[in-house]
Amino acid sequence: MRRGAVVALISIALVVAAITTSIAYFVDWLPETASEEREGIDLVLWVTVGICLFVFAIVASVSIYAGVKFRVRPDDDSDGPPIHGHTGLEIMWTAVPTVLVTIIAVLSAIVLAENDSAKGKPMRVDVLAQQYAWQFTYPERGGVKATNLYLPIDRSTKLVLGSRDVIHSFWVPEFGQKQDAVPGIVTTIIITPTKIGNYRLICTELCGLGHALMRTRAIVLSQSGFDKWARQQRQGGGGTSTGGQVDAKGLFASTCGGCHTLAKAGTNGMVGPKLDDLSLAPEGVRQQIRRGGGGMPPFEGQLSDSQINALVQYLTGSSQ
Amino acid sequence: MSETTTATSHAAHNGAPHEPPRRRHWLLRAGWPRAIWMTGAFFLLGFGIVVGLRALLNYEPVVDWHVIIVAAGLTLAPLGFLTGLGAFDYWASYAIGQPTKPDDHSAHGAYSWKDYFRVNTDHKVIGIQYVTTTIFFFLAGGLLAMFVRAELARPQTEFFDTQTYNELFTVHASLMIFLFIIPAFAGLANFVLPLMIGAPDMAFPRLNALSYWLLPIAGVMLLSSFFFPGAGAGWTNYATLSVDQPFGNVFFSMAVQWAGASSIMTALNFLVTIITMRAPGMTFWRMPLLVWANFTTSLLVVIATPFIAGSQFFVLFDKIMHTNFFEPDQGGYVLGYQHIFWFYSHPAVYIMILPGFGIVSEVISTFSRKPIFGYRLMALSLMAILVLGFSVWAHHMFVSGMAHYLRVPMMVTTLLIAIPTGIKVFSWLATLWEGRIHFSAPMLWALGFVSMFVIGGLSGVMLGAVPIDIAVSDTYFIVAHIHYVLLGGSLFTIFAGIYYWFPKMTGRMYDERLAKIHFWLTFLAVNATFFPMHLIGIQGMPRRVATYEDKFANWNLFISISSFVLGASFMIFVYNMIVSWKSGPIAPANPWRGRTIEWLVSSPPPVFNFDEVPQVVGSPYEYGVKGARHAILNGDREGAAELEPARTT
Repeated sequence: MRRGAVVALISIALVVAAITTSIAYFVDWLPETASEEREGIDLVLWVTVGICLFVFAIVASVSIYAGVKFRVRPDDDSDGPPIHGHTGLEIMWTAVPTVLVTIIAVLSAIVLAENDSAKGKPMRVDVLAQQYAWQFTYPERGGVKATNLYLPIDRSTKLVLGSRDVIHSFWVPEFGQKQDAVPGIVTTIIITPTKIGNYRLICTELCGLGHALMRTRAIVLSQSGFDKWARQQRQGGGGTSTGGQVDAKGLFASTCGGCHTLAKAGTNGMVGPKLDDLSLAPEGVRQQIRRGGGGMPPFEGQLSDSQINALVQYLTGSSQ
Repeated sequence: MSETTTATSHAAHNGAPHEPPRRRHWLLRAGWPRAIWMTGAFFLLGFGIVVGLRALLNYEPVVDWHVIIVAAGLTLAPLGFLTGLGAFDYWASYAIGQPTKPDDHSAHGAYSWKDYFRVNTDHKVIGIQYVTTTIFFFLAGGLLAMFVRAELARPQTEFFDTQTYNELFTVHASLMIFLFIIPAFAGLANFVLPLMIGAPDMAFPRLNALSYWLLPIAGVMLLSSFFFPGAGAGWTNYATLSVDQPFGNVFFSMAVQWAGASSIMTALNFLVTIITMRAPGMTFWRMPLLVWANFTTSLLVVIATPFIAGSQFFVLFDKIMHTNFFEPDQGGYVLGYQHIFWFYSHPAVYIMILPGFGIVSEVISTFSRKPIFGYRLMALSLMAILVLGFSVWAHHMFVSGMAHYLRVPMMVTTLLIAIPTGIKVFSWLATLWEGRIHFSAPMLWALGFVSMFVIGGLSGVMLGAVPIDIAVSDTYFIVAHIHYVLLGGSLFTIFAGIYYWFPKMTGRMYDERLAKIHFWLTFLAVNATFFPMHLIGIQGMPRRVATYEDKFANWNLFISISSFVLGASFMIFVYNMIVSWKSGPIAPANPWRGRTIEWLVSSPPPVFNFDEVPQVVGSPYEYGVKGARHAILNGDREGAAELEPARTT
């Protein structure tokens, strides 16, 4: 190969690499990092993206150079030189990718092992997924139940996931970790939050009509804030409460909003009946929540009596 | 009988088609009228069996429409259609001892447009039947994608209720995979593969005809699932959601059976054809890479496809026969579905790309006027992908809850596949090097494929790394990745193949200018549509949702608009194909100065391909080698004597 070609190839590759790298670096395309596990994932991501951009730059430079340099006019009917192969080159482009993927594999395996192990003794949270709501139980806090996931900062939590009906998948983008909740088996993941905040918690496995709206919140508190929250829940009886009072609107949004539309609560679920259009009688509503029916699962045992009362009050007060 | 005499005796049939000796009544003759009444008759037969048995056994209700639709509507009625059309006539006559003629060519070749609408045993007719049918389903599947994007243009629900929306993307994916990409490759190979290896036809022409006619059945079944809601669990149809779907899910399960059966039959046919029907002198190391590619693909199909058939039968049985493969509270195992499903569906990824590799190798070599770089390594890397392809299925299940220790080995095998794939990409680039590159439409599509496939391959490497996969699985990142490899990858190679062999198939040239506009519009729109999906996926937009958070609204609107441009670009293709086929300029035998055998016969080729069996004397890619020949045909033996000893095996 001539020296001019080598120089041209390298300079095209450098330009492509510079452009793609600066896009990757300056465009803010990753979600916020709010857990230790996400930090590991981001590390693997950046290393792999770096390797990918390297390979992409080489491929781009060869194809751009060849496309410009070796193009001929349509009436040119000569043939190219009969080059059948080059053993050295072929060994090189077998060996170099092998090294690159080995780097990715080793790094991934290390990060995976780390993300699978908890820091100290993890707090256990039982996650029950069902069409189309999440429920979180804290066995170490006297079985407190919540529809938002509350976690203390800088402490590993072991989520133990189960499903009542079909496969769901637990994901908080800012935590990185994702795990299916599978009916019939128990699955686990470790999450160690590193940032106080309020994050989206979504279902990522198609689980039926309300899949898109099977969302709730993951709320990271300081250790003392978390302890305070747990204490209040044990005394006040749960829900997304503030000081013992059940926040019925928030409870409705996280528990019922996946299926039901209710203007007042700002929900737009399309699975169950639109509650704005119905006239609701308190006893009927109470029965429906407790027993379920017509496609709706029963919520008795998942919601406390005071939560159900608050919902009944909230609903029947709203749509008479 | 030697092959030469076979070919000569075929030549004697090159006149008018044979009339059957004894003409039956038009309702009894193989054809559409008989197909229509036999479809009805077989349905009634199925109805009778189901109702009769249920009445006999005192089952309630006696008339159970769910069982009737599955047994009579989706199983027996299609068999009646095939019987009526005449797909089984020859075998049936043979089986009951009626006289049959082994070299009966009455169903061979196309002399009018009507011959494309009957059971035809000519591989070239079947190839065209395949390609046109699959393009029809491609347009149907594309229309569904337009509906999906229309719904996603804004964050709220706009046009469709959730069940319909779920069915839209389910049927979109299923049509594109089972009725476009896989059979479109089978169609192109059907046309060119026997020509390329110097064979008069496929090994089993009647089986070939049957495997084509299974396709429209599968396609109509998938599309009619819209009238029976339930095919809304995604194309992966994961249990237990699929088992819990409304009844219409059985349309998906059964359509997959028909399409899968078609795939398996074609693959067997290719294998036997490639192994036994190569022209004299066509050693394995002289086969064009397209033949190699279809050889490996067919092995994948034959081994893997029964697994998806099994997985869909299990879902079907759970739904209507109260078996319990997957319901956990009755002893079923939910993850079992995914293991069986992906044991097919990962190899299916290679079923959908290896034939494209073959097409691209042909096109790049021809339009660079250079031998393919590292021919043997190219063939061996196909085999490496075949072997590795069976050991990576669980990388679709990193977050599924399967045994944790499976993840690292599956990651390693997944990443290893990058090596043979990389070899192919680098060898194509090296083929370009110092070539005399002509940017005709097939070449544009082939190079467009290489660039799109590199992006899709690199995002595939990212997905292979378990920690990244855990973070982005089931998001739009996955949607972006599969569309880069299947649309930027497979679809581009299909277009490369269609433009490349259009002159050979139709005997006419397409409009080059329109073909180039089509390419550039599609190329830009594909990137505008699918590249931003990586971003919104990483940031947290899950796939398979009709409503999403407002913060993704702008990107989604941009993606939707781009996708409409993408959809519109295919109208140029359809227009170009129809007009050129009707009234394009007459094509020469070899418009691209290609070297493989299909270019040595006229465009379109004679009904029995060759008057004389070709003699293969060298490699198919000897561009730039003075006096080199790949094959000798029609007594043109000039210079053959001194070439034959020089051949390598």
